[in-house]
Amino acid sequence: MNWHKVLFYFLWISPRVLLGALAVILYRRRLYRKFPCFFAYVLFEIARFILLFPLYVVQGVAGKQYAYFFSATLMFGIALCFGVIDEVSRDLFRESQFLKISARRLLQCVAGSLVVIGVVLAAYAPGNNSARWHAGVSVINRGAAMVQCGLLLALLLFSRFLGLTWRRSAFGIALGLGILTSVDLATSALRAEFTGAAAREFLNWLVTGASFVCASIWIGYVLAPELEPVSPTVVPRDEVETWNRELQHLLRR
Amino acid sequence: MEQGASTLAQALIGQLPIAAWTLVAVAVFALGIVVYVALRSRTRQVDLEKAVQAFRSLDIEAFGNLVDSTEEAFLRDNLSPRKFREIQRQRAWAALLYAWEAGRAAAALARIGQAAQRSSDTEIAASGVQLAENAFRLRLQTIGACFHLLEGILWPARPSRSLPRLVDQYERAGEILLRLGRFSCGAHELGRSKGA
Repeated sequence: MNWHKVLFYFLWISPRVLLGALAVILYRRRLYRKFPCFFAYVLFEIARFILLFPLYVVQGVAGKQYAYFFSATLMFGIALCFGVIDEVSRDLFRESQFLKISARRLLQCVAGSLVVIGVVLAAYAPGNNSARWHAGVSVINRGAAMVQCGLLLALLLFSRFLGLTWRRSAFGIALGLGILTSVDLATSALRAEFTGAAAREFLNWLVTGASFVCASIWIGYVLAPELEPVSPTVVPRDEVETWNRELQHLLRR
Repeated sequence: MEQGASTLAQALIGQLPIAAWTLVAVAVFALGIVVYVALRSRTRQVDLEKAVQAFRSLDIEAFGNLVDSTEEAFLRDNLSPRKFREIQRQRAWAALLYAWEAGRAAAALARIGQAAQRSSDTEIAASGVQLAENAFRLRLQTIGACFHLLEGILWPARPSRSLPRLVDQYERAGEILLRLGRFSCGAHELGRSKGA
């Protein structure tokens, strides 16, 4: 077995081992109650590995059964990923009634725009896969990665813009998923463009490497204690009121 | 017709690599932002202090003068159109910077409100909820004001248009903001309880 193969197996197996540890931590800390979809996603990724790894060892990547199972589980994984993003956004807006309505509405608009962009870009991105269904799967994967990446980015930017405080675990989930989806987006676009064996191997390393990084981030953030709230600095009420009055005056004109 | 369609298809195929690299660029950009936000979130407390300081340093009277419509009318009547446009553009730009800084301060207030929300004292927690809610509204309203002022920079001679819907929203936010009286004493108390 050459070092390429060893590295590939290491990067494929080790993130799943980390996910197993993460599942245990989530269960023991009862975080599965707060993030049930994320817990399901972690368990699903482990189950997916248990299913796909033996098939890959027996049949290789060209095996028909491997390809079918890979595609089917990929679709389910995409659906779960959207669930995780929804869960994270609910957690982010949990403390504000105003944001629960307005920010989520804004996010829905962002999601709608991203779906349109994702469909257009995914459809016009390359892909000369011989198998039609495989091409379809890669197009859906590309579009979904685009939408998920955009949604997570919007969440992160929105929270910074509004001064929203993340819970550490929710932030870690969003951060890990953001890295994973952005790498997935880039590699899925490149995979269709570069079909050589060496390029495919390199892209596989990238994806599995990103999975390793994400699993580590998730464990790190789930284990880290929540930050103590910062001591508020006193801002006299008058300042806020005066600003309110002045801006109101400006907008009235 | 068929020929046209095949030409279009060929043109699209020619575009394919560009689309792929566009996706790669988008992904790299997104990854960069994600990493940036993650790194920046570690220095949030320092930024909060800075923002509150910035809020206090803003001269509200100067802002009031910059957006005063009677002053605008006076300048319009007494200056040549060219000079008026120049001055008005400068005024709008300065006011935009003020509004932008106020918006940033609103984000800091939101963080303070959220911190107060986690207090064990119910009164402090309640004023924290109010403060955070209104700071979120103020943040969004300052963006409305910024767009309004940007319009003034681009078209300084155009008379200001009214924004009834935005004003309604702002009035509602203003009413709640006026009830923020409890905040300052709440923040005092929280500061004391943290220190104890």
